[in-house]
Amino acid sequence: MRYQPDRTTGTPAETRLTRSGRISGRSDLFPKLVSMLKLIDAQHFAVYRLHGSGLPHKQRLVCELDNWGSANSVVGKAFVDAYSDALIEHIEKSMLPLMWNGRDSDSTAETLDFASFTQRLKPHLVPFAGVAFPVRLGSVGNGYVVFTAKFMDLASDMIVELHGRCCQLMMELLSLDERRSQAAEALSEREIVCLQLAGDGRISEEIAEKLGLSVHTVNAYLGSATIKLDSVNRIQAIAKAIRFGYIS
Amino acid sequence: MDMQISQASKGDRDARSAASIGAMSREQLILQLSAIAGPSYLQAGLRALASYAGASHYLLARCDLIQENGLDFVVACDWPFDLVRRLAPELTSGYGRTGELEKCMALFQPSAAVLPDDVELPEGVGRQYYAMTFNVGRTRFSLLLLTRDSVPFLLERLRDVGLLSGYLASFTRCVEVRSERDFDLTERELECLFWIAEGKTSDEIAMILGISRNTINNYITSVMRKTATKTRSEAIAFAVRNNLV
Repeated sequence: MRYQPDRTTGTPAETRLTRSGRISGRSDLFPKLVSMLKLIDAQHFAVYRLHGSGLPHKQRLVCELDNWGSANSVVGKAFVDAYSDALIEHIEKSMLPLMWNGRDSDSTAETLDFASFTQRLKPHLVPFAGVAFPVRLGSVGNGYVVFTAKFMDLASDMIVELHGRCCQLMMELLSLDERRSQAAEALSEREIVCLQLAGDGRISEEIAEKLGLSVHTVNAYLGSATIKLDSVNRIQAIAKAIRFGYIS
Repeated sequence: MDMQISQASKGDRDARSAASIGAMSREQLILQLSAIAGPSYLQAGLRALASYAGASHYLLARCDLIQENGLDFVVACDWPFDLVRRLAPELTSGYGRTGELEKCMALFQPSAAVLPDDVELPEGVGRQYYAMTFNVGRTRFSLLLLTRDSVPFLLERLRDVGLLSGYLASFTRCVEVRSERDFDLTERELECLFWIAEGKTSDEIAMILGISRNTINNYITSVMRKTATKTRSEAIAFAVRNNLV
């Protein structure tokens, strides 16, 4: 079996993969996915993440890892075309796993004892059956881990086990991203104070008065913080500082 | 008096379920959860999950409501009321301290804490408690479990507990309330907020959305009015804190 991340999608997220350090990290996730795959005797896996604005209909699913293989990239696209809207809508309100049946009548995904805790996607849209585990981490790193097969029958115990592992995997994927951004210099105390006050709605003059500094110094601090946070302006810097936990 | 009796019989039930804890497998738990129905399924389900983990009491809280005054953030709970009231301010002050990214990495990761010495606990309940978070849609929930001195707490089961709590919470309407609380921002306004948080200027957003720069500025002014914020920076900070972008 070959495990080649699908590059044919050519999205910005994919091109960023070429930076050093990340590919080796991501490759560590493949064995975990393969062992999950084997547990349920599935054929393929794929990890999707949500990209784009906070509004559901502006978001899209981007494939981060998969074993469709180059020959099967068409299949991956068919899956996204068929289900991405439903998947994006679902993750906005629910944590329940999704299952769907394939095009042929004998291509089904079943769970006898867990039907009440799973939801069904529209059947017969793609040539394979499968299960998609939604993982919602918070404001970043959300997405799905998907397993497909001609036929699958999952016991409740297995679904819970797999979903738990999927959550772990998505956190590891996110931590790989962040290892990169944390390489940036740490913010100084003054920079953090200025960012915090700016985020609280103070203008530079007010911050300067409060801290006993000149306006220019305050702006310099905010400027250096903006650079360290790899942002283009102070507003983006504030947004990032909150997400990274520098300020509250 | 009646209340005391029901309390006592509840205590018995707790003791019984505690005794059988070691034997309860994940399959049994799921079986039990699948059988639960009716209006109090969330409470019944959480009770089953708590005992699966060896905990004595559960409290399910909505993190997005924690900043506000009052006890609205409690979704379901079988803790004594005094304890909830006593602990509420501590939850409130503790929640703001970690960053969003850290919270994202902490899904289902239990953290242990100790109840303050001055609170009175139900008979047999230990001072150590565990907290863990999970998300259903945009709402982050926190599950707090009290432990029992005499029963071992099964930390390794908490991932299952978090996951299944999330399944249960997916059924509730309490998740949907959120959209009404989206501060009545229109889709266009949210879209502008998103792009500003990405560091775009009004001119750039005008280009992206294909509308005039003045319209963009109007949207932003209207966001600041609706969210009672004074500057653009504060409006973005507000949006990020509330997971609007």
